Amino acid sequence: MSEVKSKSREHWFGIRKDLAPGRRTLLTVCSFGIPLLVWVTVSYVPFIWHPDIKLEISADRDGVTTVFTAGDRVSKEFFPTFVEAVRQENRKVLDARVKNNPHFVSRRENIKRLRHLAPLGVANGWLKNNERQNDEKIFNLWKQLAEGELASRAISLSQENLEIIEENWILLSKASPTFNLKLYPTEALLKLIPQGISSNPVYLPAPHEVINAGWLDFNTVPENGMPTMWERYRHSLNIIFWGFAYSCLLGIPLAILCGSFDFFSKLHEPFVDFFRYMPAPTFSVLFVAFLGTADAPKIMLVFVGTFFQLVLVIANTTRLLENSLIEAAQTLGAKRRQLLGRIILPGILPNLYNDLRILLGWAWTWLVIAELIGEKTGLTGFIDTQGTRYNFDRVFPVIILIGLTGFFTDRLLNWLRYLFFPWTEEVRQAPKGLLTRLLLSSTDRTTYFK
Amino acid sequence: MPPSLELPSYLSQSPEVSERFEKLRNRPVKLKVENLSKKFDTPNGEISALNKINFQIFRREFISVIGPSGCGKTTLIRILAGLDFPTSGNVFLEGRKMEGPGAERGMVFQDYTLFPWLSVKKNVMFGLEIKGLGKLKAEAEAMEWLDIVGLGKFADAYPEQLSGGMKQRVAIARSLANRPEILFLDEPFGALDAQTRSSMQAYLLKIWQNVDVTVFFVTHDLDEAIYLSDRILVLRANPGEIDELIEVPVPRPRAPGQFLTPEFLATKKRLEELIRPPELAQNDEFPMVRLTEVGDEVE
Repeated sequence: MSEVKSKSREHWFGIRKDLAPGRRTLLTVCSFGIPLLVWVTVSYVPFIWHPDIKLEISADRDGVTTVFTAGDRVSKEFFPTFVEAVRQENRKVLDARVKNNPHFVSRRENIKRLRHLAPLGVANGWLKNNERQNDEKIFNLWKQLAEGELASRAISLSQENLEIIEENWILLSKASPTFNLKLYPTEALLKLIPQGISSNPVYLPAPHEVINAGWLDFNTVPENGMPTMWERYRHSLNIIFWGFAYSCLLGIPLAILCGSFDFFSKLHEPFVDFFRYMPAPTFSVLFVAFLGTADAPKIMLVFVGTFFQLVLVIANTTRLLENSLIEAAQTLGAKRRQLLGRIILPGILPNLYNDLRILLGWAWTWLVIAELIGEKTGLTGFIDTQGTRYNFDRVFPVIILIGLTGFFTDRLLNWLRYLFFPWTEEVRQAPKGLLTRLLLSSTDRTTYFK
Repeated sequence: MPPSLELPSYLSQSPEVSERFEKLRNRPVKLKVENLSKKFDTPNGEISALNKINFQIFRREFISVIGPSGCGKTTLIRILAGLDFPTSGNVFLEGRKMEGPGAERGMVFQDYTLFPWLSVKKNVMFGLEIKGLGKLKAEAEAMEWLDIVGLGKFADAYPEQLSGGMKQRVAIARSLANRPEILFLDEPFGALDAQTRSSMQAYLLKIWQNVDVTVFFVTHDLDEAIYLSDRILVLRANPGEIDELIEVPVPRPRAPGQFLTPEFLATKKRLEELIRPPELAQNDEFPMVRLTEVGDEVE
């Protein structure tokens, strides 16, 4: 039920005043739209942030151990220094050549210099990813680029680099007209000058990178027998389900007893109250010690993380049930057992259901910790591995998946209330329509009722 | 200020009224209260909410309790219904000593206390099912009671969909469906508006006339007490004791027209004296400074 409002009198900022349905929907869309828009803008509009250069062509500097390869990011302050250093080295090589006293390097070093063209070949699709060290193909690449048979589309080569390619090809083709590693020159070849594009730091991949990485990860079977993403997902869901199920199975009856009988309340709650302040992860070593390294300690962690909170929260929910309902039932002849089963349980059920929804959200937090104890498994195991390798474009899809799972589980559970508790004021006053109800905000004031 | 009307004594009863009370007194005693006391411990010492209360109610009698706020009306009805325990004294229902709540003593609360998760019909069936009645039988009986209170077509609605008056009628039906020997009502119409209230009073009288049930009714509304009751128990606060047990001289059957009859007004005057004695009323007078004047000399 919502009141019909006159447009002209409506205010966007009224304390404790509901907005019109249209405005509410608009704001709900914005609440997702604005963060997405920020992400997209920061990713694709270069002058907003982009503090780094993502290298497309890199080079090794003489006597410097820090190696940057194509795909690495260097800061914009450092990049000119890097480029200038390589240029300086080339100038020395050229100067020496002009003075008829050319520099000589190992053949191996020249092969390495030639290989720096490989990323460009991969980017244009001329090389496969695993052909980065296929020197014959790379030889052909130099030839074709120098003779103008190929032109790079994916990366636009600078004039400087095009000249270097031609210069090197003259030297290379003179020594080895056809591909033959043994004939490669030992006179120093020029290095390609590093080239790159403006980019954001590695921890903020652009949307398309995240989508691509996610698509790839979720559609490929990893080598070396690692589980697929969907197997990891199922594994994570399994742990959270059992951890939370045990928590409910033991916690709810205990909580209702505590909320109904002072006896159980005083016997259990003080200890539960104390125990919940001991952080569950600190017990993980203990769990692994007596439950092994498989799933049992992980389930145990989710259980311990949620159980103690659950008992206190639901005991309190039970105490919130109006006493007069119990008294009314007593004057109608109900005895203890009937009061528990026919008054207290159905009476607190809608609030208990809401409590469980909130507690399930906490269970996800515990899951993330649980998956890192013992053997790293599930989605978090993947996040951990890829995170330490700085593959954040592969990390974000998984984080988003966890978020979406939690969000849609909650939406679904929220929607199910309309089936389970048709008698609550909230449900009766909620707007009709399946989709509307599914999307109805869980933060509406009436979520908790007395 | 002199009384503007010459009223008879509230003690003088017409022949038919006194004959009716004679007959009532010959009925078997339904509820007997013996030396009932209830004390509360507070930081400021012990408070005697009820002190040595003695009275008895006859079968199918309608008895009301009134008194100033804090006189222990609610404490008394809760002890009689078994929801609270007395510090000392006993309650007997047809000679049986009562301890704890039970189905033979129904209770209607001010805040309706319908079970929100049950439909109206299932609310009324609740006590019957507890009693062990089969589902079909309970349902049939519940429907009968809902028809009596005029809510048959709301059988499948949830309590929250009903108005306050309707809720209270369901609550009354729910209690009566259990066939209690005595029905306690704790300010049942206190939360209703004046119009609903008077129609609810008429309803209650009608139901009481047609059902064999003894009624114990707590209210703070003097008119309501006189209009409904055979006898009125006036309580005094601090300590909570019986001030007087008044036999209402208004003849039955009652009708709204009787509100202005001499015997009604005489009873009301007496009740007012008891609840707000003149010495207390004087304390209520306090000086008031006039802040603004219109200036046309009209008071």
